[in-house]
Amino acid sequence: MVLVEAIRQAFRTLRTEKLRSFLTMFGVLWGTASVVFLVSWGLGVQAMMEAGYSRAGKNLMQAWPGVIGEQFTPATDRRELWFTTADVTAVREQVRIIDAVAGEARMWSTVVFREKTFSTDVRGVEPAQTELRGVRMAAGRGISRADLDHRRRVAVLGTEARRRLLGARGGIGSWIRIKGQPFQVIGIHARVGTQLWRDQGEELDAQVWIPLTAFFAFGPRFGSDADIVNTILLRLRDRRDYDDAKREARAIIGRRLRVSATDEEAVRIASSLDQLRKLPLEQTSTVLLLLGTTTLLIGGIGILTMMLDSVQERRQEIGVRLAVGARRRDILGQFFLETFVMTALGGLAGIALGVAGCRVLASFETADLIPLPILRAEIVFIALGVMTGVGIASGIIPAWRAAKVDPSVTLRAE
Amino acid sequence: MSDAVIALQGITKRYASGRVRVEALRGIDLVIRSGEMVAIMGPSGSGKTTLMEILGCLLQPSEGQYRFKGRPIHQIPPDGLAALRGTELGFVFQSFNLLPRLTALENVELPLSYRGVTARERHARAHEALLRVGLAERLRHLPSELSGGERQRVAIARALINRPSLILADEPTGNLDSRTGEEIMALLHTLHGEGNTVVLVTHDTRIGDQVERRVAIRDGRIETDTRSP
Repeated sequence: MVLVEAIRQAFRTLRTEKLRSFLTMFGVLWGTASVVFLVSWGLGVQAMMEAGYSRAGKNLMQAWPGVIGEQFTPATDRRELWFTTADVTAVREQVRIIDAVAGEARMWSTVVFREKTFSTDVRGVEPAQTELRGVRMAAGRGISRADLDHRRRVAVLGTEARRRLLGARGGIGSWIRIKGQPFQVIGIHARVGTQLWRDQGEELDAQVWIPLTAFFAFGPRFGSDADIVNTILLRLRDRRDYDDAKREARAIIGRRLRVSATDEEAVRIASSLDQLRKLPLEQTSTVLLLLGTTTLLIGGIGILTMMLDSVQERRQEIGVRLAVGARRRDILGQFFLETFVMTALGGLAGIALGVAGCRVLASFETADLIPLPILRAEIVFIALGVMTGVGIASGIIPAWRAAKVDPSVTLRAE
Repeated sequence: MSDAVIALQGITKRYASGRVRVEALRGIDLVIRSGEMVAIMGPSGSGKTTLMEILGCLLQPSEGQYRFKGRPIHQIPPDGLAALRGTELGFVFQSFNLLPRLTALENVELPLSYRGVTARERHARAHEALLRVGLAERLRHLPSELSGGERQRVAIARALINRPSLILADEPTGNLDSRTGEEIMALLHTLHGEGNTVVLVTHDTRIGDQVERRVAIRDGRIETDTRSP
């Protein structure tokens, strides 16, 4: 029998067995919807994690000075190290894999606006920080090269710092005091959000940034005349370069400080990538896909059971068809197609439901760390593929049973 | 022998159900020629339905040879038998065996749909067959909307659709009241009169006695084979 005929027959069965067909199809519908939704949600979790870990700066490493490692010095009293602006400049000139470099100094200080006082993380930064940290300006401007050159007493506040210090009454142009020195607010950062990774100190939103040179004007630190920075920020072009970039940074800084390029205690390097790489994001996606697929398989088993029942009930029909000239393979094809059409109908409806569910959820605005499903065309194809597999698998057994029906028994009058 | 539609030689059929072996047929020899009308008669359990199933190629005999229009059946592959059932044979059953979800017209078309006939020609031929059995007005009805006699007419139209060499009717009046049964018998007689070969299986002697040739079966053997003058 031709394909069209078999498909018509399948629809006819659906129509006459509406409730039962719907109930069985619902399993497949829910299964495919689960595949679409869970896999999309998995991508959402992944994206949320990446965003959370990237909020301290995307593909950013930080280098801290430490002490010379035990195996690199005979002395029991190991030499302490520090980074200066000259080191930062040297690194900036010599890097190849690393794509941007900036020095950063920090202190914990009281900040005063009118009668309001609070303690926070004050950072001396270079103009590059805004881009390296990935922060956007909500108002005003960031620290510029000229601010550094002229040691301007200007400050940029994170949203949280602004809220706590200035409140509703102050904005750009307000004068604040840091360690007693007056600074003018020239910019406010846009909200960054919860950071899943941060260096020691406050989150970006609570920080106050001032020009690195103005920071040094507070006086020499650690009893040294040099301009000492706490960390060197190093950005990668590509996160896959992380290990190479680490090696490069240690080699350059090691040469400057005359320590070994392999001394991990002397030059400490950390990055959000350390954590991000440890997260089982791929595995989570696989588990979610398996979960969805299993649901779909159970739906397929529902259809399989229903079709086996259907074959049992329609033995008479099969006998008649054989008696009027149907070949075994016509019967096989008919029942296979009926099962497959049902699976496909349920599956397509499920995909529609899954896509709609993802769309609706993704349209909500939520807090920082709540994952929203991310729908991709591949996911729909995966769902279609799995559904086709389930349709074929659950179609074969009933069809084979149907083709085995003995016409001589079924046609006998009772 | 050249015009023999059916030639059976030593046909035996054994069923094995569990440990019990049943011999339904024990050496049947029978020749039916083209244009004959034959009633196969016997009480229930005599093996007449088994015989009809073998004639209809729905069942393979355990022993013996069956030639259909000279061709030995056991040499025909399964697909060939399906084609033979579809084109050379027309079945009429006691319980009609119409497909409940198909309309009268679609039921009649069914044998054609397995022969790759176009929809347009199927409709035309099914329409014509239903006309022949006097059911031109109930084409779009489902079997459940038809009376018993009408259902059997639809079944006969279905059996006729491929202009078969042989019409096999298994107790065609068994589920009908006597008046309707007579109408159906009249229809079968008319078809015979038009030159069709008809084989009728019945346990009802009143039905059998109307037929020119009567083959009586008992315990799987042919008891008598008589012809009316």
